[in-house]
Amino acid sequence: MSSPLHEQMPWHRRAPGTERGSRRPDPHLDLGKYDPEADLMALNMGPQHPSTHGVFRVKMFLDGEVIIKAVPYPGYLHRGVEKLCEKLTYIQLTPIVDKHDYVAPMTNEQAINVAIEELVGVEVPRRARWLRTILAEMQRIASHLLWLGTFTLDIGGTIGGGASVMMYTFRERELILDCFEALTGGRFHYNTHTVGGNRHDVPSGWDAMVKRAMRTIGARLSEYEAECSDNEIFLMRTRNVGIIDQYLAMELGLTGPNLRASGVDHDLRRDEPFHAYDEIDVGVAVARSGDCYARYQVRMAEIKESVRLVNLLIDGIPTGPIAALRGAKSPIAIKAKSGQVYSAIETPRGELGTYIIGGGDQKGAAAYRLKIRPPSLHAVAALPYALVGHTISDVVTILGSLDPIMGEVDR
Amino acid sequence: MRIPYVTGSGRALWVTFRNFFRRRVTEGIRPQESREKRYKASFALVHNDKGEEACIGCDLCAKICPSAVITVTSAGKRVSPVDGKKRGYCEDFTLDLQACIYCELCVQVCPTDAIVMLRVQEEPGYSREDLVLTMDKLYANGREKPLYWGKGSLLMEMQDPKRSRLSPPEPAEGAS
Repeated sequence: MSSPLHEQMPWHRRAPGTERGSRRPDPHLDLGKYDPEADLMALNMGPQHPSTHGVFRVKMFLDGEVIIKAVPYPGYLHRGVEKLCEKLTYIQLTPIVDKHDYVAPMTNEQAINVAIEELVGVEVPRRARWLRTILAEMQRIASHLLWLGTFTLDIGGTIGGGASVMMYTFRERELILDCFEALTGGRFHYNTHTVGGNRHDVPSGWDAMVKRAMRTIGARLSEYEAECSDNEIFLMRTRNVGIIDQYLAMELGLTGPNLRASGVDHDLRRDEPFHAYDEIDVGVAVARSGDCYARYQVRMAEIKESVRLVNLLIDGIPTGPIAALRGAKSPIAIKAKSGQVYSAIETPRGELGTYIIGGGDQKGAAAYRLKIRPPSLHAVAALPYALVGHTISDVVTILGSLDPIMGEVDR
Repeated sequence: MRIPYVTGSGRALWVTFRNFFRRRVTEGIRPQESREKRYKASFALVHNDKGEEACIGCDLCAKICPSAVITVTSAGKRVSPVDGKKRGYCEDFTLDLQACIYCELCVQVCPTDAIVMLRVQEEPGYSREDLVLTMDKLYANGREKPLYWGKGSLLMEMQDPKRSRLSPPEPAEGAS
């Protein structure tokens, strides 16, 4: 009952004015029955369009300049990660899953390790859970900053001059990557989590470094808002564009900021706490209109909230060990003879779930089957609904506002 | 008073103007010395404190490597000429950087702290063979290039579940 995605969800938490079966485009529109006088055209966007955030193709059918039907074709970045995860053992999985959502690798590692820990039955020490929470929040800031930069670039830059917001957000994101580099040694592929805890302990002076980065980012958020929210052109291009109503969002399985922008108050950090989220209060940002501007607002509010959480958490890291098991000396150190588990954490893009059936190769040290439930795949599934009725110039706005990462969609 | 388009543009340009005087961050490549202390790049094999090759050819790093880029050929056990104890030796060691994902697991599993990473990046080469680190290249790296902070025993000690003290093992450089 706690989750808004539940059938029996009480009505008062749903936004008004979004009745079931309200005006919704038909994704399976029969073009043969369309007006024969119309000037129809099929247009492919991608698979190498730079605004598609990866290799992705949308086939659009246009009436004049208005889209009447859109069909997304993912799959150009398929790397067979799930099959690879059946071959590799649990210890070896962490550096591999860094690669599927390449904008937020830290939360990928956490998702798979939380699932394996649940399968094996390992209790993570409190210090490691706090550290994971800090890293997840910092990764959320970094991911949203990258999203903001590429989104403003997608809609043609802002008045401040071309791609200025992208330059600024990448500069601030670099501060977080520096913190990650000081902790793990890697700027992008960290391999800092392991089954039962973390691999790298906090170096001295790291908390001051993080605080300095948070202070800078927190102070500069108002500048991004000056460039975006105060800008009439930005508002015209995002308001009432790409509306996803509440029921559609829930039926498609949208999660994360995309779902919350449609008015559903759902956040795994608060509703099903993992890591150390049960010890702190997480403010969940919800917007109601479900358009591109709402998704922008939710992400900006989440950056602010994450800055607050990191500042809160960094002072209270508990003492103690950072791992529950000794460091692995052999790939078959962790074994699970049987059992299956689904666990999910809230990544910057939404619910990243991992479903594992234990008892695979090497006497149970590898998974029999591993399925990743990526939030971006569901975001892409919203395109046939969100694009219809808009012009071509809005396509990149809508696609960018959904923040899909194709490495995660195709895996 | 708010004039449409003009006020917003003015505020946005004010942000751009302020950034004009901020420190520039994209000037050239960041020097290797200013990298964090834990920065990890290419690999090296080291000699132990007795001056002998530390690698004993135990094959653990080859087994744990997720990309299977390490090949180890053991030379079997024999008596060490330095201290007279029986130990293993490595005949050939190859690390293929073309598929390496820099996950640091080989460093973690090494029982003799033989393989470590470098704080400098590997140099690009003109052929594929340039990126394959043979045993000679690895030992040359260990002699000539700056090693990074970690080694197998240190990483294992950091993850020890019995460790309760809050002692940062190494300070982060650039944190001051």
